[in-house]
Amino acid sequence: MTEIVTIQVGGFANFVGSHFWNIQDELLGLAADPYADPVFRNQNLNMDVLYRTGETPQGIVSYTPRLVSVDLQGSLGSMSSRGTLYNETSPGPSYVTTWAGNISTHASGPHRKNLFLESLYEEERESLTVMNGINGRENNSRREIHDEDKVESLENGVQFWTDFSKVHYHPQSLYELSGLWTDVQEFDNYGIGKDAFSGGRGEEMSERLRFFAEECDYMQGFQFFVDDSGGFSAVAADFLESIADEYTKTPVLLYAVRGPVSHTNLRSQKQTVFRDIHDAVSFSRLSSFCKLIVPVGLPLLSRSKAATFLSVKDEEPYHCSAVYAASLHAITLPFRLEHLGPTADSCNISGSMDVSGVVQMLTGQARQNMVSILDVAMPAPPLTGKQVEQTLLRNLQPLTPDITEDVEDLQAVESISVQGSFGSPGHRASVSEVNDMVEAAYENATSRPKFCHLSVSQCPLPIPLPFPSIFGSHVGQHGELLDSPIISSRSRGSLDVHSIPMAARLRSSSAVLPFLENRLVKLRRYGIERGASGAQLLSSWGFGQDELQDMGESLSKMVSALDPHSHTSSDSD
Amino acid sequence: MLRVLNPNAEVLNKSAALHMNINAAKGLQDVLKTNLGPKGTIKMLVGGAGDIKLTKDGNTLLKEMQIQNPTAIMIARTAVAQDDISGDGTTSTVIFIGELMKQSERYIDEGMHPRVLVDGFEIAKRATLQFLEKFKTPVVMGDEPDKEILKMVARTTLRTKLYEALADQLTDIVTNAVLCIRKPEEAIDLFMVEIMHMRHKFDVDTRLVEGLVLDHGSRHPDMKRRAENCHILTCNVSLEYDKSEINAGFFYSNAEQREAMIAAERRQVDERVQKIIDLKNKVCSGKDNNFVVINQKGIDPPSLDLLARAGIIALRRAKRRNMERLILACGGEAVNSVDDLTPDCLGWAGLVYEHVLGEEKYTFVENVRNPHSCTILIKGPNDHTIAQIKDAVRDGLRAVKNTIEDESVVLGAGAFEVAARQHLINEVKKTVEGRAQLGVVAFADALLVVPKTLAENSGLDKQDVIIALTGEHDRGNVVGLSQHTGEPIDPQMEGIFDNYSVKRQILNSGPVIASQLLLVDEVIRAGRNMRKPT
Ligand SMILES: Nc1ncnc2c1ncn2[C@@H]1O[C@H](COP(=O)(O)OP(=O)(O)OP(=O)(O)O)[C@@H](O)[C@H]1O
Ligand SMILES: [Mg+2]
Repeated sequence: MTEIVTIQVGGFANFVGSHFWNIQDELLGLAADPYADPVFRNQNLNMDVLYRTGETPQGIVSYTPRLVSVDLQGSLGSMSSRGTLYNETSPGPSYVTTWAGNISTHASGPHRKNLFLESLYEEERESLTVMNGINGRENNSRREIHDEDKVESLENGVQFWTDFSKVHYHPQSLYELSGLWTDVQEFDNYGIGKDAFSGGRGEEMSERLRFFAEECDYMQGFQFFVDDSGGFSAVAADFLESIADEYTKTPVLLYAVRGPVSHTNLRSQKQTVFRDIHDAVSFSRLSSFCKLIVPVGLPLLSRSKAATFLSVKDEEPYHCSAVYAASLHAITLPFRLEHLGPTADSCNISGSMDVSGVVQMLTGQARQNMVSILDVAMPAPPLTGKQVEQTLLRNLQPLTPDITEDVEDLQAVESISVQGSFGSPGHRASVSEVNDMVEAAYENATSRPKFCHLSVSQCPLPIPLPFPSIFGSHVGQHGELLDSPIISSRSRGSLDVHSIPMAARLRSSSAVLPFLENRLVKLRRYGIERGASGAQLLSSWGFGQDELQDMGESLSKMVSALDPHSHTSSDSD
Repeated sequence: MLRVLNPNAEVLNKSAALHMNINAAKGLQDVLKTNLGPKGTIKMLVGGAGDIKLTKDGNTLLKEMQIQNPTAIMIARTAVAQDDISGDGTTSTVIFIGELMKQSERYIDEGMHPRVLVDGFEIAKRATLQFLEKFKTPVVMGDEPDKEILKMVARTTLRTKLYEALADQLTDIVTNAVLCIRKPEEAIDLFMVEIMHMRHKFDVDTRLVEGLVLDHGSRHPDMKRRAENCHILTCNVSLEYDKSEINAGFFYSNAEQREAMIAAERRQVDERVQKIIDLKNKVCSGKDNNFVVINQKGIDPPSLDLLARAGIIALRRAKRRNMERLILACGGEAVNSVDDLTPDCLGWAGLVYEHVLGEEKYTFVENVRNPHSCTILIKGPNDHTIAQIKDAVRDGLRAVKNTIEDESVVLGAGAFEVAARQHLINEVKKTVEGRAQLGVVAFADALLVVPKTLAENSGLDKQDVIIALTGEHDRGNVVGLSQHTGEPIDPQMEGIFDNYSVKRQILNSGPVIASQLLLVDEVIRAGRNMRKPT
């Protein structure tokens, strides 16, 4: 089993995706760079899992993400929906062959490229000129753009996810929901999105997905990022339903990601109720069409324990999405570690497992719990020093909202990925060291999961240039944790920190109960109970009583599986 | 003081809102009116990132425009609904609504209450719909529909979207396509015409394929790229090894058990493949025939290997809709299991071949017997050209289908609008009592926006044209305008026909929206939460 097809639906999901693919692109670049740190040159990561090889109309070989991204019209900023690689040699824009009569041209003001994109574009043009053997004299007149200025331009003004993307996308990848514009509608609840999939749009999305799926010889699964804070939740639910229909046996791993902004801005009681109803419905629908769902996104990421070593601006999607993307990158590690034969030298990596393996492990077992928690240690602590056993587990902090902090759950199941962690200062820990350490950590821990899978790679997370300045003063150039802080007037970004060790974990645990109970209670209160105040709203969203009852039942099943004595799960009658 | 001030404020608000509505409707009319008819202007829209869209039809333009004014959004929605329902007439709808508002404005400025106008609209609408019943030209659609009339309707609509030579070529294509999929006694399902496109220098290479074109090819290097006399197996059967079943237990079982399970699972898939091979051997043995499998589900490499070795061509992950189309094109039946395969399941195609264009692959399934599904293969030099031709092809297909289902057509080039207007003024008006008469007149004059705009877009003087047309009409002739000279012509002689259902839909929805916009009270209430108009 090899290929994964990635799907990104909705504003914030595409921000996360953009960082995710920047990281992959950085890894690809480093692997081919003779001057790069050797750990990046022998990653033992199989990039074909996420990428496809193709050919442009000019006959040039292309390597692009196996991706379908869905967003509102106008959300692509200065990037063409056809991507950047397969550009047609168009015979000039005012050339119309199909009409003999009058032509009028209406151009909307071109989106200005920011300094970062401008320099990307220049670089590309330059390499083309070199390829064509032309020694451009105008090069001299070219403005030199300093890295500091690029980073700053991003720090000050990212509006679209394309503003910080350095990846070439396939022309089938970027789909804008036709007729739904970024800044006209407020696309902010399930009801608004409920018809967006119908009327040709859904068919277009499915066709694009089929384009990527048809090429796969052994697809291991879909990885689906959805921004479920608004109308995209409905779009994604309909899309997932059609996927479940068409690709019956292929597992879908769903990450429901939210930016902090989507948690705030509730001015009135009514809006709060509205939001609660949305959250309950959104989760019910999405969870019914996938194998594993991972809610990601804290209301106040900046003040969370997960951001202990970071300085994140909550109001910047560019910032928050980077943290989530880095964590999700770590989580995908087991899916693309190369399978090594027993004789092969396996000192760089261990713990490869495919999507269905991870899904089965986390959701199978006795409890069949399909909701997992995402924890991260960013950066991961070194595996030396005093009480080192505890630090790793202690530093792994949740990015999933609404969960219990300290919970003893003997039935818990976990999948941990550790990337590029340090042993003694300046030395990457070997795979066996990491294995031993983690084992020891659990030995000493007060509560232990029933089962834990560990994937290790010596390759750390590379920090691409278009990455937000979110590192705190204790994070060194290689992501090592410093004893004394670096005094600097500005926050630390990609020019100061080049890579960091990462640890991330998917955890199937009863700690997720509050998240589930919350949704169940709200669904009952506003939708199911006699005279429920949200019944009318829900019926305008297309939900009848029967369907709401079913949703309530499946939520209550999820709750009681984790807590057989739960009050919430049993008071349905 | 308060008691005096308040009603005043109300009136002021009302009239301001009313004028806002009128202006919005006129504004949208201005944007769309240059589109209308065979002499209209094509619009090239260039997006912020340089993406190009080409459009000559109202529907596409409205979808591509970012409309913010709530009134304009309402009108645009009506027009888009017009397209969903009847497939044409969006531009006419928008300019008709605009004109109803414009005509009303005159009377309202003279102090007339909108309610009276709206009453007049209602009367005029009913009378016009009745008149349409008399005016339409019935067409008999027996077992053999009159192909000439179908082609005339298709040509009329296509020539409003594409240059003549291409429009005329597509006229034959869309007419034949609809006739191909048409079954007696059944509703026409246009989805059974596949529309496929291919990058190619010349748009005139667009053609009708009697059979199916798929946008993928086989996935095995040893499979033939071209085969004649093919049995076609259309199926929805997984030919992939599925690991999830094995994973379910793998934490508890030992390595040997696991290996055994994997082997068992593989064997099951192989058995399914073998059943297909058995059928192939049965029908092909000793003959010079070929065997093609087109599967909606996946086929993994080991299965492809087995099939290739048996000389079978296999395609995986076919579009769901192609399952149905294949059966209609080639015969046989779509099977969901390989357990009871018989030769009766198989369809037939005289020729199956692959065409490769860069990383894109196409498979042609052609030379079929008695097809009820077909493919229009659009060729064009770039995406925006292809997209525009595709829009036009859809219009053409709808026009032919409408004609068959309506069993009637309406003379075009403004002929109906002129005749209906004269009917309202000369006959209907006098039967109406009181000031609602003026509503009838406003409606009647608004109808003339179609011939007027057609004249304007042809660079003619619209007043001259209207005088010439109404004069000729009153002499007892049915007349439209010549797009070249503006002189009265007989649309029948020129073969200019519009769809009956399109006309009826325009007449139905236009006045409804205009009335809503005129009864402004409701708009204020509805508009309270909306954004500021821009
Ligand atoms: N050869 C012709 N001479 C004069 N008028 C014509 C001719 N062909 C078509 N027309 C008129 O043009 C009008 C249709 O124009 P057009 O197709 O551009 O707009 P529409 O159908 O209202 O909207 P849409 O943009 O949805 O197609 C009809 O009134 C039709 O009678
Ligand atoms: Mg038309």
